Amino acid sequence: MSAHTTTSPSPTKNAPGPRAGSGITFSRVLRSEWIKVTTVRSTVILIASTVLVMVGLAVLAAWGYAQLAQSINDGSLPADLQAQGPGSPAVDALTTPSSGLIFGQLLIASLAVVLIASEWATGMIRSTMVAVPGRTPALLAKTVVAAAVAFLVGLLSAMVSYLIAQPILGSQDLDFALTEEGVLASIINTGTFLALVAVISMSLGTLLRNTAGGVVTAVGIFFVLPVILQLLSGLAAWIPDAARFLPGEAGNKMAAVTAAEDALTQLQGGLVMGAWALAFLVAALIATKKRDV
Amino acid sequence: MIEAQTLTKRYGAKTAVDSVSFTVRPGRVTGFLGPNGAGKSTTMRMIMGLDNPSGGQVTINGRPYAKHKAPLHEVGALLDAKAVHTKRSAYNHLRAMAATHGIPNSRVNEVIELTGLGAVAKKRVGGFSLGMGQRLGIAVALLGDPQTVILDEPVNGLDPEGVQWVRHLARDLAAEGRTVFLSSHLMSEMALTADHLIVIGRGRIIADAPIQDIIDGQSKARVRVRADRPQDLLNPLAGDGVSSQILEPELIEITGVDPRRIAETAQRTGVLVYELTPLQLSLEDAYMQLTQAEVEYQSHSLSPTTPEATQITIPVEGRRP
Repeated sequence: MSAHTTTSPSPTKNAPGPRAGSGITFSRVLRSEWIKVTTVRSTVILIASTVLVMVGLAVLAAWGYAQLAQSINDGSLPADLQAQGPGSPAVDALTTPSSGLIFGQLLIASLAVVLIASEWATGMIRSTMVAVPGRTPALLAKTVVAAAVAFLVGLLSAMVSYLIAQPILGSQDLDFALTEEGVLASIINTGTFLALVAVISMSLGTLLRNTAGGVVTAVGIFFVLPVILQLLSGLAAWIPDAARFLPGEAGNKMAAVTAAEDALTQLQGGLVMGAWALAFLVAALIATKKRDV
Repeated sequence: MIEAQTLTKRYGAKTAVDSVSFTVRPGRVTGFLGPNGAGKSTTMRMIMGLDNPSGGQVTINGRPYAKHKAPLHEVGALLDAKAVHTKRSAYNHLRAMAATHGIPNSRVNEVIELTGLGAVAKKRVGGFSLGMGQRLGIAVALLGDPQTVILDEPVNGLDPEGVQWVRHLARDLAAEGRTVFLSSHLMSEMALTADHLIVIGRGRIIADAPIQDIIDGQSKARVRVRADRPQDLLNPLAGDGVSSQILEPELIEITGVDPRRIAETAQRTGVLVYELTPLQLSLEDAYMQLTQAEVEYQSHSLSPTTPEATQITIPVEGRRP
């Protein structure tokens, strides 16, 4: 080290004092948070892998629908499946673009938790809070950046999935146009769903200040809670009713192409999940404002 | 200018900072001295808005840190060299910090150059030594070219060259009219850098004065005397608050009597005095005296040692190179 420090110790020749026109603005804090996301290699790798995993799952799904359709067409469908009634591959195929969500939401939840909890783990949070002592803009900017990244990951994955799936589905005449009812909305809402997953997960990471705890809790909310409620659904009539309003369940309805009877519509699903995201975000903002760091 | 008024921080039943009030003025280096656990870091964290005070308030340039529109231009702080994401490079860390205030990349490069981080700036902070981490922390503190600079234990982990660099930096910043607030648990470090000293022990301010006053205030007059018949000199001087030690047959140290009275006594008793040297207490000793009652963790030596053997006095005039 000693070789590098022959520089004059004087930090500047100018008179000390704030420079005109410089100070905290929300767009500057956004830019800072964007720099943070793009300058940690593991974060960038996680984002890229999320796209790959989501597209990969969609390709598998498309291939599965094509196989099913072929089996039905040449009458070779196994008897047990036939008894269940296989549903219509032509209808199911429409969900191909959003079929990566099942793992995509898990990866985005981890990403959002890691973005904030790693700051607590490394002590970076203190630098962040000193640079933006109002704190609320810092957390909001980080949430906006995470939600934007998640939205783009969802939109891009769904769009690429759609494009790659068409030739596969086309072999069985299952291919469909973007203009078909609900398809484009489903592709866009794949992004919206992930954006809201990011908001909820980042809030969890903020409240828990711990990467492992945050990821486990997010998985619990999106995956485990619906299963538990399903297992308990026989106990009381209200349990399955309530289960529809879980954030993950409602969000999946938002990204659906068609709404089933008795289920939430896309808009209702979106509103329910949006309400959850807002509630988590407000809790995280309050905790951030009050806490010692 | 930093102003704290009855600033208090409690953690449960424990009071880390107990109603402290002080002012840190521009144009000089103010040392914040205290043993480990005395409340230095907690106080600095409250100044920077990281910890909420349990009582009282602290302002920088007239308002609380968080109320400034461009806080990094008002105050630069090194509170904790580890407050960095370990997987990000030093350069990108500085870039992210700078972006919040629209500080250009040219300034980022300037502070990298200034702190001697050029060779490692593109490397991940996780691999940094403690010393490099401190330099990065100082680089962040200087990023906004702030009027007030707060450094918590800045020389920790620095090599001797780095320690000297921090001393010069602190003195130069103060010479430019900035407010410089520097903490340490090492009295010797403060003696070399600070003009003014705030001493804290167990969360309370125990001294707030120019360094010279702290030394003077704590030390009773101590005089080294060489005389042919020391005992004949000591007998008439004996009294309240006076103590003496015979170091050699003709060498004694007298505490609690000023040199003139010793000379007068010698003249009256006819004792030949061939050295009469007023001794000053070292800053280290003064600090020990100040904080003895306030130390949180007291260590005990394993073998009994004579206190005289460990007392080394340095003349305070020579404290600055």
